[in-house]
Amino acid sequence: MFDTAIIGGGIMGCASALELAEAGMSVALLERRFLASSASGVNAGTLSLTDVRAALVPYALRSVELWRTLSERLGFDIHYREIGSITVAFNDREAEVLRERIAAKAALGIAVDIINAKRAREIEPALCEDVKLAAYCAEGGYANSAATGRAYRLGLIRAGVTLHEQAEVTRIERNGDGFVVSTANGVSLNARRIVLAGGSWLGGLGKMLGIDFPVHWRVSQVSVTERMKPSVSHVVSHAYGLLTLKQSDNGTILIGGGWQGKGDPERGPAEVLPQNLIGNLRLALQTIPALQGTRIVRTWLGLQAHTPDAMPLVGPIPGVENAFILGGVRTGYTCGPYVGKLFADILLGKEPELPLFHAPFNPSRFTAPSGNERLALTA
Amino acid sequence: MSACDVIVLGAGPAGASAAIEASKAGLNVVLLDAGAAAGGQVYRAPPGSFRVTDAEAMGPDFAIGDGLRQELAASPAKCFFGRSVWHIAPGFVVRAVFEGNTEVYEAPTLIVAMGTHERVIPMPGWTLPGVMGLAAATILLKSQRILPGENTVVAGTGPLLAAVAASILKGGGKVAALVELSTRMDWVKALPSLISRPDLLKRGFGWLGELRAAGVPIYRGHALTAITGDAEVTGVEIAPVDAQWRPLAGQRRTIAADSVTIGHGLVPSTEVTRLMGAKHEYRHEQGGWVALRNEDFETTIPNIFVAGDGAGIAGAAAAALRGRITGLAVARRAGRKIDASRETTLRAQLGKAERFGHAISDLMQARPGLIETMTPETIVCRCEEVTRADLDSAIRDGARDVNQMKAWTRCGMGPCQGRMCGEAAASLLAAVQGGDRSKVGQLTARPPLRPIPYEAIVGQFDYADMELPEPQPG
Amino acid sequence: MGARRIEGGIARPAPVSIDVDGQSIQAFPGESVATALWAAGIRALRTSPVSASARGIFCAMGVCQECVADIDGRTTPTCLEPVREGMRISLRWNRP
Ligand SMILES: Cc1cc2nc3c(=O)[nH]c(=O)nc-3n(C[C@H](O)[C@H](O)[C@H](O)COP(=O)(O)OP(=O)(O)OC[C@H]3O[C@@H](n4cnc5c(N)ncnc54)[C@H](O)[C@@H]3O)c2cc1C
Ligand SMILES: Cc1cc2nc3c(=O)[nH]c(=O)nc-3n(C[C@H](O)[C@H](O)[C@H](O)COP(=O)(O)OP(=O)(O)OC[C@H]3O[C@@H](n4cnc5c(N)ncnc54)[C@H](O)[C@@H]3O)c2cc1C
Ligand code: FES
Repeated sequence: MFDTAIIGGGIMGCASALELAEAGMSVALLERRFLASSASGVNAGTLSLTDVRAALVPYALRSVELWRTLSERLGFDIHYREIGSITVAFNDREAEVLRERIAAKAALGIAVDIINAKRAREIEPALCEDVKLAAYCAEGGYANSAATGRAYRLGLIRAGVTLHEQAEVTRIERNGDGFVVSTANGVSLNARRIVLAGGSWLGGLGKMLGIDFPVHWRVSQVSVTERMKPSVSHVVSHAYGLLTLKQSDNGTILIGGGWQGKGDPERGPAEVLPQNLIGNLRLALQTIPALQGTRIVRTWLGLQAHTPDAMPLVGPIPGVENAFILGGVRTGYTCGPYVGKLFADILLGKEPELPLFHAPFNPSRFTAPSGNERLALTA
Repeated sequence: MSACDVIVLGAGPAGASAAIEASKAGLNVVLLDAGAAAGGQVYRAPPGSFRVTDAEAMGPDFAIGDGLRQELAASPAKCFFGRSVWHIAPGFVVRAVFEGNTEVYEAPTLIVAMGTHERVIPMPGWTLPGVMGLAAATILLKSQRILPGENTVVAGTGPLLAAVAASILKGGGKVAALVELSTRMDWVKALPSLISRPDLLKRGFGWLGELRAAGVPIYRGHALTAITGDAEVTGVEIAPVDAQWRPLAGQRRTIAADSVTIGHGLVPSTEVTRLMGAKHEYRHEQGGWVALRNEDFETTIPNIFVAGDGAGIAGAAAAALRGRITGLAVARRAGRKIDASRETTLRAQLGKAERFGHAISDLMQARPGLIETMTPETIVCRCEEVTRADLDSAIRDGARDVNQMKAWTRCGMGPCQGRMCGEAAASLLAAVQGGDRSKVGQLTARPPLRPIPYEAIVGQFDYADMELPEPQPG
Repeated sequence: MGARRIEGGIARPAPVSIDVDGQSIQAFPGESVATALWAAGIRALRTSPVSASARGIFCAMGVCQECVADIDGRTTPTCLEPVREGMRISLRWNRP
């Protein structure tokens, strides 16, 4: 009997498993494919404070502190680089959105400044001359999301987490106060508590408990150039959130910004949409003229969970004692380590530093109030 | 955007034949190829600016290829060369780069005939300039008409070895040695299937005769265990192998040379069918993963057909026949009248050609012990310089799948997108999973299919005219 | 020493010159840039990104990307690019 079984090995599942196990709980983590093989391993790796939604800023701020030492803690280099970020606007409308958004975020405690074009180009000479207004934040940066699974795998094993990979959970049943969790590859285990951390697959997992969570998905595209001479030294983003760009130590430039492709939980990320690739790359080239003349090596895509209000879905599952949901966090890669820690604190009975199960995140906002146990009792 | 009935990708024997048949049956066919002329790998034409003065000196493949090119030119198929295909959307919308710009072609039916690329299992020194694939040497010799070096070691597996060595001699170069993994016994065992093409067998014996006459040392049952030299190739080290092609300890011999050409079989190029989400299965004797298909060569994605070596390695003759059959099948299904008896005859010929082709392909496939030519320091991923030790370390950390290995080590993330290192990495992963290659999966295919210039994607634009989507939630 | 072109079977057009990092090289229009460099004794084309070691033609079919050079300002696989009179090629573009 495990204290907690976590379903889904993305950053949410991994980060909370690590905290729980390090605090002494017995934890099982079940993952359909491999750790961080979905959003958490293919995302653009942006960890800049200026690119998270205002509601998530307090979490992102504290998460960045955890990112600084995460590689060390896990025993593998996830390549966290604190290079700061510059967000740009090219016309009046964009500048207005930028001002408004940055003011909201500054009020929440981020050290971010609105700067003029000249100053922006002094800080980041790679920026184009058309920049009208910019915002600069020295904190935050990026990490190499592809290394997430390897790093957490090492850390989780050392912390004593029981890992089941290539183990898709297909059934969840009640067993007294706890649960029996069964997988397609024949694993069946008992746990006092379960945590659904299945990212874009949360809808299906909810159904196993008889609950309809309104979890949809977005399919974002990311592109990478071949290795280039060092030319960009900050995370560069756009006022509208439609561009994030950074050059890693190896010289490749990663270009994202949430431009959409096609796919679904059944097929996975399936189809790059050329018009959105073109749009994303145009915005990038407009921002960083040095991209001219390079080559694009690959464009890929990933599924991330999306809720109707674009807010997280975190908390106890209404009507199913000892079952929790943890997902739907936008810029969840940035926030993951800290959200995982808060979540673990609550499960461990500690007072959380920030609210996590409060109304804006709580799943009860989408489920009709009901006192009944939803998951049918077995034997 | 140009629209038609069928788009054929690749103008090798398979794609050219498919385009000929489908267009002659009345379909509006567009044929796209990255090369400058039809012919593909096996019948690659010399540059158009060269004048062939002695067709015989160019070898028998030249004549066959030229015949194919003439037949294609006389057919109604519209051929566009110099087009590197980089994306395909359902429907099907094909994007190709031509002279730095993207062109868009559209058709409801797609015939994929993109051929193969070569497998090379690495050994120390294989990244030195002067070391190249057997396929590369073939292209230099047949099409570019240049020697791969003055004194060349020809090594690896399959019939290309003797063919390349004989062409080097014919071109006036020296072959330092022919080093083959298979033994005489392996060839004898394959003989019953090879008998079906006595003409090709005879050609093979002819090459061997020429090598013997020139006094070329031939080492059978040997592997290249290292290529030596600092900035340039100075020689190789070879060792006898066991039945699984594992180099035997202690028995090394060195051979001086200034160039090396090496190959361990061909791998079907499946990037398009992977990109489109078709189902594949692992077929060792056909070179690896191949798209599942029915008797008309249609994949699990309706209206996408595969032809030629891209559908499983079976050689040039089979590639051409598969192409013709696919072209006829596509026309038949589009309601065009075709000669049914001709289709039957072609299918019977294909059976014979495939028997021969599969036997040869089987002989070429790398055996599991060959991974031991990769020492810990050997670079496996040439683009990202990932070593065998790096890969072994990832395996120790729990990597089990090729995509996971790629994410964890960057092996296959560079400009070649795993086409050079993918086989070696997959073999290492399979070795810790009971040798089962199907367990380690296939690399995911994504656009662009080859690295393409940034401007070829974005084209000309003015930011002021760009309609940005709504801002992301703030 | 440069690799030898095979004379038999074909007649090449009149040679032209191309510029390789300031050095003028004779080449035949239509043959690949990689071939022209090979014939001129230039085997080392790309420099690898990590160890800065030299790389040359490996696949000759546009797959491996080992032969890329800067041709008239663009990163291009030299094995696929036909020689044209007056081309400017730089092999130093990616040297550290
Ligand atoms: C392309 C892209 C770019 C992004 N860029 C950024 C960025 O730059 N910065 C940033 O902060 N955020 C970014 N994000 C968002 C971020 O990646 C996600 O918010 C975050 O990774 C979500 O983590 P997760 O653990 O909730 O979900 P996931 O990573 O999706 O993990 C869920 C896991 O659950 C598993 N699972 C599902 N069903 C089952 C089952 N039945 N049994 C067992 N396992 C199951 C899945 O296989 C998956 O591994 C990006 C997302 C994408 C897709
Ligand atoms: C160098 C070499 C020599 C060979 N010699 C022999 C031999 O002597 N006898 C024999 O039986 N077999 C030989 N083979 C096997 C050979 O692959 C096949 O028998 C035959 O060439 C297969 O024909 P195909 O039409 O399937 O593919 P190919 O001939 O390989 O043709 C594929 C075509 O697709 C094009 N293409 C690929 N990707 C793209 C893209 N992204 N965009 C646009 N075009 C693209 C290529 O330019 C190529 O022209 C050889 C293979 C190689 C590699
Ligand atoms: S030699 Fe491989 S791409 Fe040119």
